[in-house]
Amino acid sequence: MATTSAVVSETQPQTRAWPRVLLALGRVVLGAIFLYAAYAKLHFNGSWHLRDYYFFFGMAINSYNLLPLWAVELLSRFMPWFELALGFFLVIGIGLRLTSLIASALLLVFIAAMTRAYILGLEIVCGCFGNTEKLGPWTLTRDSSMLVLALAVALGAFLINRRRTAVSS
Amino acid sequence: MKPLRNRRIGIFFFVAAVVALSGSSVRPQTNAPAAPAAKSAPAKTSTPASPAAKPAAAALGSKTLGSKSAPITMEVFEDFQCPACGSFYETSLKLFIDNYVNTGKVYLIHRDFPLDMHPYARQAARLANAAADLGQFETVERALFDSQNQWSARGNIEEVIASSVPPAQLKKIRDYEAAHINEINASIERDRAMGVQRNVNQTPTIYVTAHGKTEGLPGGGVDYKLLSGYIEYLLRQ
Repeated sequence: MATTSAVVSETQPQTRAWPRVLLALGRVVLGAIFLYAAYAKLHFNGSWHLRDYYFFFGMAINSYNLLPLWAVELLSRFMPWFELALGFFLVIGIGLRLTSLIASALLLVFIAAMTRAYILGLEIVCGCFGNTEKLGPWTLTRDSSMLVLALAVALGAFLINRRRTAVSS
Repeated sequence: MKPLRNRRIGIFFFVAAVVALSGSSVRPQTNAPAAPAAKSAPAKTSTPASPAAKPAAAALGSKTLGSKSAPITMEVFEDFQCPACGSFYETSLKLFIDNYVNTGKVYLIHRDFPLDMHPYARQAARLANAAADLGQFETVERALFDSQNQWSARGNIEEVIASSVPPAQLKKIRDYEAAHINEINASIERDRAMGVQRNVNQTPTIYVTAHGKTEGLPGGGVDYKLLSGYIEYLLRQ
């Protein structure tokens, strides 16, 4: 029995624990950020706004002057719940490759919109975490760091999955 | 096979959760009165008042419009030289005054928040305050925003708004401003201090008070349709 396991460990690629730990840490942090972003859109000015949050968030989205009003209204209703679900799935780690890719794509879109607004000199609120934060270099840097984290999680999830597939085959 | 099944289940729950949560916030909308410009960016022209609309009753000595007994109070922290304030006034506030202030639904309060980056903002605010004390606030506010891009470069405010405010009236306002300069400056500073206390960091910044609760709207101006949607929601409560 001991001989068999020794042979197996020699033929299988060596798996270390730290990439998994780092990945778990990264996805939990990223998920927590998305959960907080959703919370900040639903709870502000000292109270919950479950029935009127979309007016405030819609006003923030509309100030970017990017989307038609119907899209603004749709996005403002949908986005906080999408962020909540995304954060939840990232924290639990279900469908990590897909959720981390979605998070990366979402952040990429946000950063593109923010950069455009900043270049155009629009004096608006970011809308990222509530309605009071003004768009500026700090918000751009912060969201870019979040994008780096999301990409790292996505890369890690794909690499670990590839290694796992290689081991099982 | 099993990981694929797990992934499908995960995706299903993800989509279901988002649809269910966002769907729960969708409520039937009642019609906002007179939203003729039902588009995101109404043209930068003055929109006609509804036939039933009467001029807003400006209380003497105040920068307010509408009835004090209106169920909703809206405060707008503005800088007369700020382009975003000018745009907000032209595309949203004019129509809003016609449909909500003049109809007794909203009590509108102007708060001065001249920004240091705008060299003529205080000069314009002083003129508007003097006009307010003489019961002419609405006329002068309109004249200032309508011609903002003309006086913003050189600060020739009186020369520019002379086409919108009758000369005799303008002279009266100017004389009043000269005679009461200290009180007027103090009034502007009071508004500014109030803004600073409320963490106003850009203009226009709007606060809406209804049912005893005050909410700050995202700064930088709000589209008419979104603003009227929110006011309608508050009126329904």
